[in-house]
Amino acid sequence: MHNSSQLKNEFIKKWIQGLQIYCSSKKQMNLLERTKKIKLSADIALASAKHSATCWSKAIISEAKKDERNTILINNLSDPKMNFKCAHQNLACLKRIRSRKILKKSCDVGIKMKKMKPRRQVSNLATCIAKRLVKKRTQVLKRLVPGGESMDEYSIIKEALDYILSLRVQVDVMKNLVNATTNFE
Amino acid sequence: MSSRRSRQSSSGARISDDQIIQLISKLQQLLPGTRIQRSNKASASKVLQETCTYVRSLHREVDDLSDRLSQLLSTIDADSPEASIIRSLIM
Repeated sequence: MHNSSQLKNEFIKKWIQGLQIYCSSKKQMNLLERTKKIKLSADIALASAKHSATCWSKAIISEAKKDERNTILINNLSDPKMNFKCAHQNLACLKRIRSRKILKKSCDVGIKMKKMKPRRQVSNLATCIAKRLVKKRTQVLKRLVPGGESMDEYSIIKEALDYILSLRVQVDVMKNLVNATTNFE
Repeated sequence: MSSRRSRQSSSGARISDDQIIQLISKLQQLLPGTRIQRSNKASASKVLQETCTYVRSLHREVDDLSDRLSQLLSTIDADSPEASIIRSLIM
């Protein structure tokens, strides 16, 4: 798969860059700090390796930017142009979601009034339950995928697809590094 | 009220059911499953549930691996030729 090997190479490059930045700044770090820094640099490296092609990657970087300590890392790893775009896009996205929610609520009231009539068939009930289940699961997925809160059902599934593929790449690379390091002992 | 309802359904029709089904089946292919017979009948909610579980497990793996890596890097601070190789990689 051409895409995943390309992503892998980008990720490795950026992650090593990030680790080098941390190691050059402070020599003495306790275990917990080091773990956090390793994970953070891996996440940011993964997100920036996507070159702002996906929503979740932008969300990771904008979340990391909120902490001032991460500025050096982000400036070195990510593309500065993309950061301006994602803030603007998120706002427009949220507005869209909000107006859609208001529209949906007003429609639901009308639908509920119609449902008062007791002509319900079994198939309708089944699809109703199925839809509710799907909605519930989608809500959970929204919380898991970074930046998922401001997405509709269709986009969250698309983003989840891409996110899973990228997470796999991240896990692969980290596993290889851990194995290589373990074999040295 | 009926006009509002039709407006809602028309905005939903922009993303067809087929597209959603396609996405769900793609998700299904990604998920680690021992069953080779991943038929189309697997419900969307089940696929979504397994997706959530899979994402959570991937997150845990990343956390676990960063933990192990930081432990290994701290123990490898000795002056050995292997340590210098690793160090040259990331330091």
